Amino acid sequence: MENVGRRKFLGLCLGGVATGALAALIYPLYRYLAPRPVESSAGKVVIPLNDVPEGEAKFFEFAGASAVLVKKRGGELVALSAVCTHLGCIVQWEKDKQEFLCPCHGGLYTADGTVISGPPPKPLPKLPFTVANETITIG
Amino acid sequence: MTLFKRLIDWIDVRIGARQLAKEELVDYLLPANINFWYSMGSILLFIFVMQVVTGILLLIYYVPDADKAFRSVTFIMNDVPFGWLIRMCHAVGSNMMVLVLLLHMFSVLFMGSYKSPRELNWVTGFILLTLVQGISLTGYLLPWSQLSFWATTVATNSVSAIPAVGQYLVEFLRGGKLVGPPTLGRFFALHVAVIPLTIAAVVGLHLFLLERIGVSTPPFGLKETKNPWRPDGFRYEDHPGGIPFFPNYALQDLTSISIYLACFLGVVFFDPYLFFPKDAFLPANAFQTPAHIKPEWYFLANYQTLKIFPNEFIGLAVQGAAMTFLALLPFIDRGPEKHPLKRPVFMICAIGGILLWIGLGIWGHYS
Repeated sequence: MENVGRRKFLGLCLGGVATGALAALIYPLYRYLAPRPVESSAGKVVIPLNDVPEGEAKFFEFAGASAVLVKKRGGELVALSAVCTHLGCIVQWEKDKQEFLCPCHGGLYTADGTVISGPPPKPLPKLPFTVANETITIG
Repeated sequence: MTLFKRLIDWIDVRIGARQLAKEELVDYLLPANINFWYSMGSILLFIFVMQVVTGILLLIYYVPDADKAFRSVTFIMNDVPFGWLIRMCHAVGSNMMVLVLLLHMFSVLFMGSYKSPRELNWVTGFILLTLVQGISLTGYLLPWSQLSFWATTVATNSVSAIPAVGQYLVEFLRGGKLVGPPTLGRFFALHVAVIPLTIAAVVGLHLFLLERIGVSTPPFGLKETKNPWRPDGFRYEDHPGGIPFFPNYALQDLTSISIYLACFLGVVFFDPYLFFPKDAFLPANAFQTPAHIKPEWYFLANYQTLKIFPNEFIGLAVQGAAMTFLALLPFIDRGPEKHPLKRPVFMICAIGGILLWIGLGIWGHYS
């Protein structure tokens, strides 16, 4: 009986040591492989107002993903995520139609990011921006 | 536990796993007088797996481009979480691999395990030694440091001593007249693909021979220490009444691997730069040769041999002859005696050879 208890105790100790060793192996491995935080200038992107002519769009990187700034006909500005909400492709600006087209599966969005047709389940997320001194600050 | 047992049962009824494990592990008997030195091969196999795993992890961040390689290694060391640990394990592991390989070789030498019918085990082991030297040499260049660059320059240049084709061979090795970006491309391909795959294949062959021929009996603690083998037909060397591989010797393997890990991690954590001279921390500069550039410790004897002979070709030829002699040892030393103390000539030659190798290495280090 005493031997069974001793064996169980040693087994538990060995299991504890093995678990500790496994954790000591997995933690550095996870940290090594985990994606690194995106380095951006305090999460803001500055674009001169003149860089976006009326009716056109400018694509840029924002917080590690693709984004787009549109100056609609009439001068209204819209900043959107350019990542299609269907399967993550990057939408293209159709200047003639003033719409966004996702080339992967034909998703169509308005210039405001609202879904017109196709498989996208949600509109393109809007990004906050301010306009001051002839520059647009996104984020 | 029940789920685990059910899974094993599921596999067992399909492939007979329990029977296979019994035949190959429990009923696989080893000599009753087997000793610690027989676990060197298991340690080496463990190190090889570790090198492959850490090497693959390094590939995630390493950039094999002469303009970016050094920066990518610095990035791994300073910016990637635990990148230093992965790289140090790889770098220290490569040195430890050579060390354990030499110990494995010495134990085989002293216990006479290379003798008939195990000539092929020795030859494949010797091929593995040269492949490990090759993988170490090619890996040395990859960080693209001053040490990498100039050690590779010196190492590849020694081939030029071969008459007639030497200079062309150097250029072929380097991919140009001097060490440069083409050399990095070649060495990278050799280091991460060609040599590891070849090592894996030769290790497979080495293990097949071990399995097919059977484990040799150590000469210690026996009355009769002569090799009983006769060339009259193939016979598997079994060991009736011996100890089972599992769990008995598997536990010894595990103990040896744990002792190795303690030494290895001791170096990684307490003296990680043991194998790194200061030139390993400077980016390669093709216009500035550092003073006293030296190869890794296991190439120091070769380096010193090249220096002591007035003619580089003679130095190279002497090394070639010594390596050929070692590779063909089982065909030269054909005496039946296996016990080292009953082989005085062999012992004098072997210990003399080892001391000469160590002496040349120390001389090379301080010269």
